[in-house]
Amino acid sequence: MLELRGVRAGYGRIEVLHGIDLTVGEGEILTIVGANGAGKSTLLKAVSGVVRISGGSITYDGERIDPLGVENIVSRRLIQIPEGRRLFGPMSVEENLQLGGYSRRGSGSPVAERLERVFALFPRLKERLSQQAGTLSGGEQQMLAVGRALMAEPRLLLLDEPSMGLAPIVVQDIFTGLRRLNQEGLTMVLVEQDARIALSLAHRGLVMERGRIVLEDSAQALLDNPEVRAIYFGRRNAGYRRGMEKT
Amino acid sequence: MTFEQFLQYIFSGVTSGSVYALTAMGFTLVFNATQIINFSQGQLVMLGGMIAVGLYGAGAPLWGAFLGSVAIVVLVAVGFERIAIRPLLRKGILAQVIATVGASFVFETAAMLIWGRDAVTLPAFSGEEPLSVGGATVVPQTLWVVGLTIVIVVALQLFYRKSLFGKAVRACAVDATSARLQGISYSRVVIFSFALTGAISAAAGVMITPISFMGFHSGSLLGMKGFAAAMLGGLGNPVGAVLGGFILGIVEALGVGVVSAGYKDAIAFVILLLVLFVRPVGLLGAKMGNRG
Ligand SMILES: Nc1ncnc2c1ncn2[C@@H]1O[C@H](COP(=O)(O)OP(=O)(O)OP(=O)(O)O)[C@@H](O)[C@H]1O
Ligand SMILES: [Mg+2]
Repeated sequence: MLELRGVRAGYGRIEVLHGIDLTVGEGEILTIVGANGAGKSTLLKAVSGVVRISGGSITYDGERIDPLGVENIVSRRLIQIPEGRRLFGPMSVEENLQLGGYSRRGSGSPVAERLERVFALFPRLKERLSQQAGTLSGGEQQMLAVGRALMAEPRLLLLDEPSMGLAPIVVQDIFTGLRRLNQEGLTMVLVEQDARIALSLAHRGLVMERGRIVLEDSAQALLDNPEVRAIYFGRRNAGYRRGMEKT
Repeated sequence: MTFEQFLQYIFSGVTSGSVYALTAMGFTLVFNATQIINFSQGQLVMLGGMIAVGLYGAGAPLWGAFLGSVAIVVLVAVGFERIAIRPLLRKGILAQVIATVGASFVFETAAMLIWGRDAVTLPAFSGEEPLSVGGATVVPQTLWVVGLTIVIVVALQLFYRKSLFGKAVRACAVDATSARLQGISYSRVVIFSFALTGAISAAAGVMITPISFMGFHSGSLLGMKGFAAAMLGGLGNPVGAVLGGFILGIVEALGVGVVSAGYKDAIAFVILLLVLFVRPVGLLGAKMGNRG
């Protein structure tokens, strides 16, 4: 469904991704783990068009999307939930959800129907429709971030550290929701620093280090891999213990 | 000061306050879309007035001159964005702000070359016969100015709060990248904001010309007043812009009554300094968001 070939990208003169190859199959969850600064967010931004690539190609549903602008990529129902959620804080929960459906205004299923699907997944959002998004709890904010993305009726969902800053029990709630979405057929790319929980959800996993993919395997094999366990399990930022720093 | 005099000053205050409010709104719309302070904002108001006078002089009916002026200033504002703002997008905000200063000179010089150095005026929209209200007198044009300003402000509020595109514009003001990730075209929002600013500015310029004359150099003072009003209300906050405009207009008018007409234009400057020193975020706080 998604295919990256030799993707290079960076900021200004600094290259962050040094030739990334990966594929995502229809209906699967692919997890990408890596330490701070490995380039995980840059990779997702390259796919959604926020960061321009300087080499290689990105193909989605058989179509080159790397020359397209963000809006055109989004309109192909390839939706990203950015790092830090980036909700519209001063606007209401309802308005955030409506804006999530912006790319499918006038097409797709009726907005009311889409809202009901979001509420079925995260009933808490329904109770807080008129509350300012910025005043929600962290967990509710993440639910809203997922809900806002679902309003676009995604076919491929990119999630950048949905567990960031959340208590484990809340992360469980969110991940339960994600699992349900996947069972209904939604393809996902999930970026996380903490490999354990992310891999437990995924079919396949990649390990990224300094802009390169260094390991690729089934999620179960990675979960059993002693080196992965040592570096990416448990404590956030564990990669620093091995001296991995921001490039 | 008698009550009649007081009322007279208030009437005069809300009249110029309306124009300050709309000018401040222009600052706000462009600022929210681009983070740029548009130093040619006042000149857009001036162009609105001058173009209407030109069209009227060429034989257009008053309403035709009004609408024609709005249409032309919209084109000017959009062209300005295309030519001077967008190409500088990657050069940073400072370059863009400097471009707006340059544009203010271009607009002034163009106005001077086209319409000359004399201040000009338009007939009032519906006669000059003053009405008596509570012992004070009001010219009908005042009612037009205040009435149209209220209509414009209410329409804008409805647009920003109720329509999906209005919400998209607000979302861009909060977080443009996140807005783009929802499929909102940021460049369309910017163009739209400049167009809307052009329309509002032109309307303000046309409405005030029958009351206070318009000349090629009128823009800088109007711009300064509008900027003071926007800062007073909280830059980026449309409700604040309107509030700041009316407060500035009324304080100015009362200042003329209590102190002296000579200090009228200094009042906006004093208010601007006070805001910067005492409460830089303005009365209602900066960002638009849910207040938009
Ligand atoms: N906007 C930017 N401008 C310049 N450099 C950037 C920018 N964003 C990220 N970088 C750099 O690119 C590199 C990769 O950053 P990226 O955010 O992709 O890492 P990450 O793997 O997502 O890290 P984290 O786990 O901390 O989110 C880092 O060295 C970072 O400093
Ligand atoms: Mg990241």
